[in-house]
Amino acid sequence: MIYLDYAASTPLDERVFEAMLPYLRPDGFHGNPASTHGPGFKARGAVERARAQVAALIGAEASEIIWTSGATESNNLALKGALEFRGMPRAGRAVHVVTSRTEHKCVLDTCRQLETQGVSVTYLKPDAFGIVSPEQVMAAITPNTCLLSLMWVNNEIGVVQDIERLAPSLRERGILFHVDAAQAAGKLKIDLQSVPIDLLSLSAHKIYGPKGAGALFVRRKPRARLAPQMHGGGHEQGMRSGTLATHQIVGMGAAFEVAKADFDADVAHLSGLRDALWSHLQTLVGVHRNGPDGSTGQRTAPHLLNLSFEGVEGEALRASLPEIAVSSGSACSSATAEPSYVLRALGRDDELANASLRFSFGRHTTRADIDTVAAKVIQQVGWLRELSPLWKS
Amino acid sequence: MPMTFEDQEADPFGYGTRVWTLFNEAPRAGEFPEGEPAVVTGQAGTPAARSVLRVQLKFDGDCVADARFRAYGCPTSIAVGAWLAEWAQGKSVAELATLTMKQLRDALEIPDDRAHCAMLGEDALKAALKVAHHPS
Amino acid sequence: MAIYFDYNATTPLDPRVLEAMLPYLSGPYGNASSVHRYGRAARDAIEAARVQVAALAGAQPSELTWTSGATESNNLALKGLPEGLAGGRVPGRVLYGATEHPAVLEAAESLRAHGWGVETIAMTQDGLIDWQVFEQQVARAPLRVAAVMVANNETGVIQDVPRVARLVHAHGALLHADAVQAAGKIPLAEYWSGAASGADLMSLSAHKLYGPKGVGALLVKSDVELETQLHGGGQERGLRGGTENLAAIVGFGVAAELAAQELEARSHHLRVLRERLEAGLHQLSGITIFGESAPRLPNTSQFGVAGWEGEALLMALDRKGIAVSSGSACASGTGEPSHVLLGMGLARDLAYSAIRVSLGVANTVAEIDRFLGLLGELRLQAAA
Repeated sequence: MIYLDYAASTPLDERVFEAMLPYLRPDGFHGNPASTHGPGFKARGAVERARAQVAALIGAEASEIIWTSGATESNNLALKGALEFRGMPRAGRAVHVVTSRTEHKCVLDTCRQLETQGVSVTYLKPDAFGIVSPEQVMAAITPNTCLLSLMWVNNEIGVVQDIERLAPSLRERGILFHVDAAQAAGKLKIDLQSVPIDLLSLSAHKIYGPKGAGALFVRRKPRARLAPQMHGGGHEQGMRSGTLATHQIVGMGAAFEVAKADFDADVAHLSGLRDALWSHLQTLVGVHRNGPDGSTGQRTAPHLLNLSFEGVEGEALRASLPEIAVSSGSACSSATAEPSYVLRALGRDDELANASLRFSFGRHTTRADIDTVAAKVIQQVGWLRELSPLWKS
Repeated sequence: MPMTFEDQEADPFGYGTRVWTLFNEAPRAGEFPEGEPAVVTGQAGTPAARSVLRVQLKFDGDCVADARFRAYGCPTSIAVGAWLAEWAQGKSVAELATLTMKQLRDALEIPDDRAHCAMLGEDALKAALKVAHHPS
Repeated sequence: MAIYFDYNATTPLDPRVLEAMLPYLSGPYGNASSVHRYGRAARDAIEAARVQVAALAGAQPSELTWTSGATESNNLALKGLPEGLAGGRVPGRVLYGATEHPAVLEAAESLRAHGWGVETIAMTQDGLIDWQVFEQQVARAPLRVAAVMVANNETGVIQDVPRVARLVHAHGALLHADAVQAAGKIPLAEYWSGAASGADLMSLSAHKLYGPKGVGALLVKSDVELETQLHGGGQERGLRGGTENLAAIVGFGVAAELAAQELEARSHHLRVLRERLEAGLHQLSGITIFGESAPRLPNTSQFGVAGWEGEALLMALDRKGIAVSSGSACASGTGEPSHVLLGMGLARDLAYSAIRVSLGVANTVAEIDRFLGLLGELRLQAAA
């Protein structure tokens, strides 16, 4: 099988695995990082080294990295924690949050939860390429707005938002800025020293690190304040209690270090694959690219390509490609067979949204893989269209 | 970890081997040439429901000499079309009329959540038979 | 010779657990929510592990929700209880044992901000519930939930959870039992099964029973409704969003299965060692073993010596290569005496002098003897 679903999950990089092993082995460093004895100190040291590694990829201080169990938790913590610190939920306070319709489910569901607690939320509709412009955001701001949450790179279509231009305007108005960077880390240059983002979510398993590991960047200067969502022993400066899983954290650190070292090579490799696949598949009639194609100067992520195919039914399309692992829409919603809400927000009708595939590439993907996949997709799309009583060739 | 093609599993998506085989092989897919005599065509379904099935039966006297199908829809719908085109071979109009949805579901082991695909098959065949009884 | 006597803080992986995890770390890696083949392999492994871990407590797999660990499980159990009727959040009342783990304590206390009534349950000097006070406490006002741990992480004291359950249920309330330390050391089925005498919520953690860190579970009786605390993705049937931690879950499953199979043998081994340890401690003057007369986990011995400072002794032992703890790892280094010991009504300076030895499968008689010898030496040095 050719795996082209790296945006859903990635295998551990060999170097990450090697880094983790000493913290997994029964005769290795198994101590609880909070313990105050030899084994504990060793584990703690590894955790702190990893913290610095994660910080280094994004231009942050190590003390600004809070460990979580993943990007879902980071997003929950950022939104709920920021608002709770500001006195939510409490009746009588008008609180307004701005986000977009194309955020990851965990942000949208958290926002809906906040709405049940009296927070008012504006869900901005992107343009046909998935762009939410800074002008659009600023127009939605009210005197009660205290938080904006926007993902840097969209996980389904790869569109890159203009976070760098937006951040200073929000900082000027004292509005907290949260960015979900789960798909952005390692694919885009992120420098939090120069971009005034307050809260940033990170995931390890999108970047060749282990599952179960994530982080939330929480800026210190100016201090972004959060009410903890996980109560207990006061770990992570009181922001997130719970025993730190040393091996997972070490893995995340190693993954981020590798991503920093391999950044240029990775990005060049990935965008080469993306462009090659697009140049093959755009020869098909009736194929639409979801998200920007780079021709108008709008940025798009190097590692994914989302296409809709006219004249074929989505499930049959996927079933006709059993030797290729891809997804349609976000992995989290694949099982429900609903057309992707991201594609619908772009204006795609249900049928076209349903007949779409997200190809996402990784370190191990080769040009040969791309050529093979392209040939197969062209063949199968052709076959399904020929099979259809509705397609006029 | 290098990625390669592996041997295809017998049923990678869990459709059941009968549906899977028919979907992949789709024998008798296509249509008879325009103007071919003794051909009746029946179509059911709508693009909005994401399934359309067209069945064509070529008669020799009272019996089906050959059949074709075209389908737009999920693999189960396509398999239904392929199965119908096979099953119809050599059947008389009277025999064709006996087809029930249950028969289709049993033949292809179609689960509850795909029952509508079997209904699609029944409807397409009925539409063809209507034409067979009342050629315009 | 490095000696690890801190198994209640965390345990090393059983080699068989690591072996089971390896293919999921460097092999099939599907995001379990994906529909392709890799995703299905992942889902199957997760469900197999669910059966294994649920079996530890004699629970149904459908009663088990994966979490990132015991802290998250305890938070979910208490904060996830929807209060009151349609729409409005009607605050309830929660009682928690004075010796509960910080995760339970802090989660319960956090409900105050939502208008809940929050009270602690008084303990006796043995670390057991003070029944007279508790029975009145329960009856005094409508109760939503009580939180009483099966076994304490510091003293090892085992509560009469079935009795708590019967009392709490008779008043129409729920019982949450933190079974994190008990799992793998004593049989759990009696704390879960039975509508009247079993808990309604139970937390479990993998890294206390030779499984990996970073994964835990919450058992939830089928008639108990909880609201998710982690929104998004809809995993765990909507109760806990977020990509499943595949390798860790597989590891937890194997660790649980081994713990169930080997429970008796492990328990016996630990008991023998602990008896030897405490026999030796009794030879030293001025030692108080906390909760000694109460039922305790077979591996835990927390004791204080009048006139000593526990943290200092801990560091001295660490310098000699012996890892013990003074109280809960979570609270290490805060400078406060253990709230567990204070909650038992022990004097502050006695609480300050606490050292906890928690044994594990790899510990030996030789290690116990060496520890006792060193303890004796240090005692002499300190007295000098």
